[in-house]
Amino acid sequence: MSNQQFIEFSRPFIQAAKVVFETMVFTKIEPGKPSIKKDTMSRGDVSAVLGITGKFEKDGKAEDVKAMLVLSWPYDTYVKIANAMLMESFTEFNDAISDVGAEISNMILGNAKRDLRGLGYILDMSIPSTIGGPNHTINYPPGTTVVLIPIISAHGEFFMELCTK
Amino acid sequence: MSFKPNMKLLVVDDMSTMRKIIKNMLSQLGFKNIIEADDGRKALEIIDSAHKIGDPIEFILSDWNMPDLNGLDFLKILKQSEAHKNIPFLMITAEAEQGNVMIAVKSGVDNFIVKPFSAQVLKEKIEKIFAKRGI
Repeated sequence: MSNQQFIEFSRPFIQAAKVVFETMVFTKIEPGKPSIKKDTMSRGDVSAVLGITGKFEKDGKAEDVKAMLVLSWPYDTYVKIANAMLMESFTEFNDAISDVGAEISNMILGNAKRDLRGLGYILDMSIPSTIGGPNHTINYPPGTTVVLIPIISAHGEFFMELCTK
Repeated sequence: MSFKPNMKLLVVDDMSTMRKIIKNMLSQLGFKNIIEADDGRKALEIIDSAHKIGDPIEFILSDWNMPDLNGLDFLKILKQSEAHKNIPFLMITAEAEQGNVMIAVKSGVDNFIVKPFSAQVLKEKIEKIFAKRGI
């Protein structure tokens, strides 16, 4: 994927994340400067991972798309976001909020898919999974590039990763 | 429109987060009798049991993308059942593509809501279903 193609591909994810956070978490988010991630270490304590497969069709040509959306939160940020979404007052990460991140990533990808279709991407999404614990690693598909986008919110910083071929 | 507080609603979603959000919104709208299921299969059991004891489920809000039995297949099974085919069904999905709306409509869904959504949007969708059904 060229730089220009990546920018086009990533824009619907950022836009969808803004809508999801404004509607469900009642806060605005601000994406920071993207960078290429060279390691597999998560930048947060809780990560939601969603696989993306499908095709990119343009000018009569089709190519396979294999990508991954990862959202990673430090515990403190995660708990604050979960409390805002669920109208709760938890003080630490627990089972009752363990799938909050997965649901957020599910909504972001679901909405991004619609806009990506307009750009020629016909995508399927997997059911999201959650990885927890400090210093956990993410299994990126081989041969892919991971772009790390820090995101600022009123509840603290978290990270979006888009992994593409 | 004011809702009947004791109407028996079933919320079906594999994610406890979304069940909780929907339940919070429904409570804000005045509903008090809300039951949960974490997939279509369990939802069918609940619907059957409630029907057998004469206290049927009166409204279903179901996610689409669930493991085992997804929301669309769950809806199709209900539509084949004489006992349950008339239960109002609101499909909830993260996938905002127009094609999905068409598939759900063809399968007999009453209305469709795309995540993320506010309590106000949920209220409007429920009101539309009630108006159409004369509830």
